Amino acid sequence: MELDHVLTCLAESARQLAAADAVAVYLLDEEGDRLTVAAVCSADAACWPQEPIEVEHSPADKKALAGHFTVIADAKSDPQAANAPGDFCSILCVPLIHENVPIGTLHAYAIQAGQFDEDAVARLMPLAEVGAATVAAARAVDTLETLNASKAKFIRVATHELRSPVAVAQSLVRGVLKGYAGKMTEKQSDVFGRISRRLDFLESLVNDLLDLAAGKAPGLAEEEGPVSLNGSVGRAVLLLQPRAEEKGLEIKLQPCHDQLIVWGTEGGLDRIFVNLISNAVKYTPSNGSVTVTVRQADGQARVEVTDTGIGIPENALSHLFEEFYRAPSAKASGEAGTGLGLAIVKDLVERYSGHIEVESQAGKGTRFTVAFPVLSR
Amino acid sequence: MPKILVIEDDLDMAEAVRMPLEANGYKVFHAATGEEGLRKVKEAEPDLIVLDVMMETTTAGFQVSLQLRSPDPGSEYAPYKNTPILMLTAIHDTTSLRFGPDEAYLPVDDFVDKPIEPDVLLEKVAALIAK
Repeated sequence: MELDHVLTCLAESARQLAAADAVAVYLLDEEGDRLTVAAVCSADAACWPQEPIEVEHSPADKKALAGHFTVIADAKSDPQAANAPGDFCSILCVPLIHENVPIGTLHAYAIQAGQFDEDAVARLMPLAEVGAATVAAARAVDTLETLNASKAKFIRVATHELRSPVAVAQSLVRGVLKGYAGKMTEKQSDVFGRISRRLDFLESLVNDLLDLAAGKAPGLAEEEGPVSLNGSVGRAVLLLQPRAEEKGLEIKLQPCHDQLIVWGTEGGLDRIFVNLISNAVKYTPSNGSVTVTVRQADGQARVEVTDTGIGIPENALSHLFEEFYRAPSAKASGEAGTGLGLAIVKDLVERYSGHIEVESQAGKGTRFTVAFPVLSR
Repeated sequence: MPKILVIEDDLDMAEAVRMPLEANGYKVFHAATGEEGLRKVKEAEPDLIVLDVMMETTTAGFQVSLQLRSPDPGSEYAPYKNTPILMLTAIHDTTSLRFGPDEAYLPVDDFVDKPIEPDVLLEKVAALIAK
C-alpha cells in the first residue's frame, strides 16, 4: 500500500462522488499549522497553487480540522474562499480526521456556482472518513518500511565493521601463537592464548548478535521456501563430527528414509541444527554420546537431539531460550558461550512455523525436539 | 623461494598473512588496492596470489581475479592466466558454506576464511603451488 496511490485514489473517488470539476487532498504538516497539496484530481493540474495553506488564514480549513465541513456557493463573494485556485466558484471543504486526530482536508471544486448541496456533503463525508483511515494506515506502513530499511542497512554495515577488526586481531594472534613472529616464553604463550580465547568469544558474540538482529530485519535473510530437512540435519552432523571425535564423543544419526520437506531457508535450518548439535557436543563429557533422530509423525517432521551430557537444572529450563541467559550448569562447565544460541534457534524455528521443546535431567542428559509441518514427501 | 603476492587493503590483515608465509620461506609482496595488485602481478610475477574481496570497492577482489583469469586476447595479463589465486573471504559462513571454487562463477582456486588459521593458509598455499 503506497501513500501516493492511496491519495490519488481518494482524490479520484471524491471527484466522482461529489460530481466536482476538481478535487485536492491537503495534508497537515507535523506542526499542525500548514496544509500542503498531497494529491490533485483535475483536468488542469497546472493551475494548482504549490504554496502551502496557512491554516490560520483559511477559515474553511480551520473549521474542517475541527471536524466541520464548509460549503461555499460562490467563491467570488465569500471571504472564506481566500485560497480558491483557478476559476472555481463552488467549494466544498471536508475534514480528514482519523481517530480524533486531524490529518488534513479534502477540497472539492466546481466551476458552476452553487454546485455542492447537502447530498454532496452526505456523500463526501463518509468517503473522507474512510480516506483518512487509509491515509493513516499507508503512512504507518511507510514509516515501518523506512525503519526496516534503515535497520537492515545498519546491520549490513555493522556486520562488516564489527567482524572485520575482530577477524584481523584473531588472525594476527593466531600467527603469533604458532610462533611465526618468533619464539615466545611460556608466560607470553599463556597470555596470548588468553587473548585468543577472548577474541574467539568476541567473534561468536558479534556473529550471534548480528544473526539475531538480522533475523528480525526483513530483507536480509535468504528467501524462504521448501527446504530438505534431511539435507540440513546431515550437513550439521557432518560439520560437527570432527569436533565430537576430538572430544572422544560419538554422534549417532538415525535418519528418516522419507524425504522431509519443510518451510524455511537452508541457512536458517542449518543454523538450527548446527547450534543444537554443537551444544550437545559442548556439554557432553568424553565417552558420552549424542544421538540425532529424524522422523515423521502426525504430519510433522521431528528432529531430536539427545545427549548424555551435564543436563540442565529444572529451574533453568524456563529461561533457556531467553537472550543472554546461560544455565548455571553451562557456566560452571567452563565452556564459552554467549547465551544467544538458543534464542536464535527458537526465533528461527518459530519463523518456519515449527516449535521447540526441551527435556532434561541434571547430570543425565538433555533432549531438544524440534518439529516442523511437513510440506510434502 | 616461491613468490606470493598478497593483495589486501587492511595492512594488519596483510601482516597476518605475511607472518606465517615468511616464516615458512616464501617471499611475500604486498599490494593495498586491486589496481596496485594488477601492477605488481606484472612486476613480481608471483607463483601465487592471495586476494582479498572487499577493498576500495566491495567487489575489487572479484574484478582482479576476473581480469587475470579471463584476459582479453593479447592482454598484458595473459601470461598470468594460470597463476593460482587464493581468495580471502568472510563470505563463507561455516553454517551455510555452499559455493565452492566454481570456474563459471568465480575464477579463483580456493578460499581461506577470515579469521585466518595460519596452518590452513599454509596448507592451501603449498597445495596450490605444488599443482
